[in-house]
Amino acid sequence: MSADSKVNATERKIDLRGLICPEPVLRTKKLLDDATVEKVEALVDGEINVNNLDRLARSLKMQFASAPQDDNFVVTIERKNSDVKNHAHVQTSTLKDKTAPQEKVGNVVFLGKDKFGEGDSEFSTTLINLFLQTMFESGQRPRAILMANTGVRLMAPESTALKVLNDFKDAGCEVLVCGLCVEFYGLKGKIPVAQIINMFAICEYMFAADKVISP
Amino acid sequence: MNDHRQTASKLLTANVKAGGCAAKISSAELHQILTNLPVTTSPNLLTGMENFEDAAVYKISEELAIIQTIDFFPPVVDDPFLYGMIAAANALSDVYAMGGTPILALNVLCFPTCDFPIDVVREIVRGGATQVQASGAILAGGHSIQSQEPIYGLSVTGTVHPSRVLTNSGAKADDRIVLCKPIGTGVALLGMKANLLSQSADTELLKSLTTLNNTALAIGSKYRLNAATDVTGFGLIGHIHEMAKGSHLSAELWSDHVPLLPEVLALAEQGFVPAGAYGNRKSYEQFSTYINDVDLAITDLLFDPQTSGGLLFAISSEESEQLVKELVTAGMQAACIGKFKVGGVGNVEVSNDERR
Repeated sequence: MSADSKVNATERKIDLRGLICPEPVLRTKKLLDDATVEKVEALVDGEINVNNLDRLARSLKMQFASAPQDDNFVVTIERKNSDVKNHAHVQTSTLKDKTAPQEKVGNVVFLGKDKFGEGDSEFSTTLINLFLQTMFESGQRPRAILMANTGVRLMAPESTALKVLNDFKDAGCEVLVCGLCVEFYGLKGKIPVAQIINMFAICEYMFAADKVISP
Repeated sequence: MNDHRQTASKLLTANVKAGGCAAKISSAELHQILTNLPVTTSPNLLTGMENFEDAAVYKISEELAIIQTIDFFPPVVDDPFLYGMIAAANALSDVYAMGGTPILALNVLCFPTCDFPIDVVREIVRGGATQVQASGAILAGGHSIQSQEPIYGLSVTGTVHPSRVLTNSGAKADDRIVLCKPIGTGVALLGMKANLLSQSADTELLKSLTTLNNTALAIGSKYRLNAATDVTGFGLIGHIHEMAKGSHLSAELWSDHVPLLPEVLALAEQGFVPAGAYGNRKSYEQFSTYINDVDLAITDLLFDPQTSGGLLFAISSEESEQLVKELVTAGMQAACIGKFKVGGVGNVEVSNDERR
């Protein structure tokens, strides 16, 4: 299985061992399709994957390097920073990396169910609405509100919490739901696609957050 | 497409490491495997193993020779019916490549029946049977076993007049090389697996993969063909090399004339290149010379293992133009892609020069 991890905002490490072609090149391509990613370090088994990633780097006009590591290879693909403009860009982003996360990532609210605590079902629903309402009115602006499992129901068209969640979104918070859960609870097509993310993104938000608040 | 077919078949290529002719054992390994075999020959055996012919041909009488061949591979697409069609088109092609007519076919089936609904196996075999019927041959039986990875194909028997056998060793100096299908199936199938093929490219690919080579041979047979083969696992360069070597000639391959399947160039550029293409490069690059700058992606495609590829004819330059015209009129993406010449036996000179 592969595991992605985020070294910092612009670098990605990915373990592609054991994956069958075309998965290694496809997954690397997907990471590099994100323009904010400057560098991908991929761990691959087999020279064919190294060769295919070399071709990918060429087609994207990026820098390619590979080095053997035990029985595997570490492939590094970097956006080329040969001209002055790019240099400037890299410097600002590096600067941002060093200063930004501590101040700016902020808190993340994680809602793993459509209730607040355990107890009477209807009452617990009232409480979650009250929580979101109070959070909004008291001026709390988390970086993101993430919903998973039955939590995704809060975003359903008939949900009483939908209005306040949209208020958060309008106020600049990222309001996001787990795609797998949306499908499982039959809400596909009822929640804006732009707000649907995968577990990879959920993990990234949680680990990058100053605090994860989960009522 | 119905839901059942999608779910059942989604799994079909899931664990396949190398599909189609990309699963072929490399030519270098094959050489090692086939050395020192006890060999019995007969004057009636019209083909030997030494030239890597597509099928064995045995003369029964002065008027009749039989062609025998077998070909099978793991799933290349998720749709079981199409997989069956492709595997059968590929197997039948070996008979056409020898200039013959298929008369009898037997199924070869290895399948994990516990892992798939029985409908999936039935669809694979039905896809194959449809092709056998279209070829005019009879599907007369087969053999099936349980196996971890699905494998399907056919053993095919055909007939040919002994004087009409088309080998891959009869090319003459100055003969033109005519290819009857576009190349790039290995790369395109990876693109399909990666979900990067457009709907139209997908359709083109499947059309090419399921097209029998019978029409190409029927048209070719109206001309004086000096040699023929079909482009499969060894890739275009590999098969041209085998033909050149067998004919004691060298070949020019005009890469800019080679018809490509849609979108394969962009895919190859981005590194969607199957393991088999690297294997072929390893086996055949030593016989290839690049006359001028040929793009890496183009050479990847020239080495790309083909599944159910097109026939490759050697024909006099005078007749080649008319042949290509007739193939194209019949709806084929055929082209004259090079020529044979004296010297440098087995060498393939690749060029993309427009000023020839």
